[in-house]
Amino acid sequence: MGLRDSIAQGALRRVHVLLVETPGWAEVRMAVEGELRLRGWKAATSPADADILVVCGAPGHELASVCARVWSQMPGPRSRVTVDVTRDVSTALDSAADELGDDDAQRRDARARPTSMPQGLDEHSSVDHAGMDHPGMPGMDHSGMDHSDMPGMDHSGMATHDHTTMSGPSGIPLASGAPDRDGLEMDVLHVPLGPVLPHWHAGLVVDCVLHGDVIGQAEAKVLPAAGVPVGLPPDGSAGGEQRRVVVRNCDQAARVLALAGWPSAATRAQRIRDAALVGAALADLGAQLESLVRTVGRSRLLRWTLRGIPAAIGAVGSGEPVTVRERMLDLLREAAQSAGGASERHAASDVASQQELLRALPALIEGTDVATARLIIAAASLDTASLAISGAMRHE
Amino acid sequence: MSSLLNPAWALLAAVVLGVLALVGAGVHGMVIARSEGRSARSGALSPVFELARLLRQRRRRTVAADVLLWRVGCGGLVVVALLKTAVIPFGSWILADIPVGIVWFNAMDVLLWAVLWLLGWGANSAYGLIGGYRFLSQAVSYELPLMFALVTPAVAAHSLQVSEVVAAQNGLWFVVWMPVAFLIFCASVIAFSSWSPFGTAAGSDIAGGILSEISGVDRLLVLAGRYALLTTGAAFAVAMFLGGGAGPLLPDWLWTLLKTLLLLFVFVALRHRLPAIRPDRLAEVAWIIVLPLALLQTLFVAIVVVVGR
Repeated sequence: MGLRDSIAQGALRRVHVLLVETPGWAEVRMAVEGELRLRGWKAATSPADADILVVCGAPGHELASVCARVWSQMPGPRSRVTVDVTRDVSTALDSAADELGDDDAQRRDARARPTSMPQGLDEHSSVDHAGMDHPGMPGMDHSGMDHSDMPGMDHSGMATHDHTTMSGPSGIPLASGAPDRDGLEMDVLHVPLGPVLPHWHAGLVVDCVLHGDVIGQAEAKVLPAAGVPVGLPPDGSAGGEQRRVVVRNCDQAARVLALAGWPSAATRAQRIRDAALVGAALADLGAQLESLVRTVGRSRLLRWTLRGIPAAIGAVGSGEPVTVRERMLDLLREAAQSAGGASERHAASDVASQQELLRALPALIEGTDVATARLIIAAASLDTASLAISGAMRHE
Repeated sequence: MSSLLNPAWALLAAVVLGVLALVGAGVHGMVIARSEGRSARSGALSPVFELARLLRQRRRRTVAADVLLWRVGCGGLVVVALLKTAVIPFGSWILADIPVGIVWFNAMDVLLWAVLWLLGWGANSAYGLIGGYRFLSQAVSYELPLMFALVTPAVAAHSLQVSEVVAAQNGLWFVVWMPVAFLIFCASVIAFSSWSPFGTAAGSDIAGGILSEISGVDRLLVLAGRYALLTTGAAFAVAMFLGGGAGPLLPDWLWTLLKTLLLLFVFVALRHRLPAIRPDRLAEVAWIIVLPLALLQTLFVAIVVVVGR
C-alpha cells in the first residue's frame, strides 16, 4: 500500500480542476481560479485533463445536461462539486480532493460507470448518435460528424471524404462536404464551441460549421441559469464602482491574453483582478496595472501576431475599427484609471444592446479560423449574465 | 571520439535524457510558481506530482477513435527523442557515430510531422484535428529553414558526422560565425517540440488541441516526450554550434551537460515570457525572411570555407 498511497499523495498536490461557470456566477469562478493559484493546482483545459469538476452556481436544464456529459467524459479518478458562494470555495475544493484521494470511493465510482454510455466514450457503443446535439465540449464525441439536423447543410449526396471509414462507424453519419470560403470542396464538421471551454464567456454556445479550422457559419446563444444570478456584490465601501471596473476589465483582458498564448501576462492580470476582489488598495493596483499596460503595449510580437483582428465593440460602438489588441489594452487602461480614482459612470449594460452584440457575433467570426474567432469572442464585452436572466424570464 | 555501441550505454543514455527532461520540467514548474505568486521552490516538484497524478489517472477512449494510430502518436514523441540521443555526443562519448549523424537527427524530427498529426487525428475529435492542422502548417514553415540551419555546420566541417562537426569547432565555435543558423535551429527545436511560443497545436483556445482527448499514461508520454525533445534539441545544438564538450578546467562531459542545461532552461523560460506565434503569421515570415536568411548564412559559410582552403 505504501507506493500507492505516496502516488495518491503526490497526485493530490497537483489537482487539475475543470470549471463550469453558470452565467452570473463569475465571482465564484474567479474565487476558484484564485484558490487554484494559491494551492498550485491547475485549471484543466478539457474533461480528459480534469480530476475535479467544479460547477459554479445553479445551471439551467441545458447547462446541467452539459455538465453531466462532461462528467461522464472525465477519465477518473474524479470528483465533482457545486459551489454557490465565494466563501465555500476552499472547503468545497478540500472535500473534492478528499474524495479524489479515497481509493475505495473511486473504485466504487469506476464500477458504477456504464460500460456503454450513450454519451459515447465506449467505441463498442452502437447507439444512434443522431439527435444527440447537446452542446458540450465538442471534439470528444461524434458531434463533429452530425449533420442530421442542419437544414441546408445536408450535402450527403456529394462526394464525401470521411475521417473514419466508409461504413460510418458507431452509427455516426459521415462528414459531408461543402465549399469553403475559397470555394474549395472541404469536409464540414458541425462543432459547438462552448459552453465548457477555457477562457470562454459563461454559458455561451456558438454552433459552428467548420471547414478545416475555418468557421463557415455560426450561431450564438446563451444557456440560462436555473436561479437568479448573483453578480459582483454591491460593495458598500468607497470605490465600489471603480473596484468593479477593475475586476471586470482585468478578467476580460486576462482572457484575451491567455488566448493570445501569453500566460505570464494573463496571470498578472488575474492576480490584479483577485487582489481587487479581496479588497487590496486600489492605488497599488493602479500602479501594477500601468506596469502591465506598458509590458503588453511594448510587445512587438503581440502586435504582430494579433495584427488586423477586429474587435466587436457592440454596445459601446464608436464606429472606429479597433483591433482585439487595442481593445484589450483599452480595458487595462480603463481599469488603471478606475483604480486611480477616475469614476466614469458606465451605462449599465442593458439587455437590448447585449442581445444585439450576441446577434452580431456570428457575422464577425464567419470566415475566420478558430483561433481568431476565439480572440474576437473573448474581446467582445458580452455580459452573458444579463442575457441569461432575460432568457430565463422569457421562458417563464 | 569513441562510439559506444553497447546496449548498457544506450540504457544509461535514456536515463540521462529522462533526468535532464525532468530537470527542465522542474525549472518550468518554478517559473510558473513564481509568476503565480508562490515560491519558486514550491514549483520545482510539480512535474513529480504531475507524474504521480497521470500514473493514477485512467486512459480514455473516444467514439470511433483510430486507436492504433492514436497510440502510435502518443508514444511517438518519446521514441523519436530516444532515437535522437543515438547521435548526440556526451563529452567524448557517442552511442553511434554514424557518417550521416546530422541526416539521422533531421530524419527523426521529420518523423514528428507524422507523430503529432496522428496524435491530433487519431482521437476523432474536432479540437485534436485543429491542433493537428496547426502543427502541420507550422511544420511547413520551420522545416526548410531547419534543414539549412543543419546543413551550415556540415558545410563548415566537410562532414555530416557529428563528431567531425564537434572536432571542426576546435578553436572557434560555430555559433560565432553562423549565429543565424544557430538561432533558426533553436527556434525550430521549440517549434517541433510544439512548445510555446510555437505551441498553438496544444493551445488552450482549442481545449488543449492535440492533448485535448488524452489522459493518464498517454498524456504522460506526450508531455514527457515534449520535454525530451527540447532536451535532445538543446544537446544537439551544443554539439553543432557550441563546441560540444569544449571548455576550460572541467571535463568535457560536464561541459556538455552544463551547456545543454543552460540552453534547455532558456527554451523552457521562453514559454512563459512570449505570446504565442500563430502558424498563419509564421508562414509569411518563415518563407519571406527566415528562409532567405538561412540560405545567405549557408552561402556565407560556403564562401568562407572555399576561400579559406
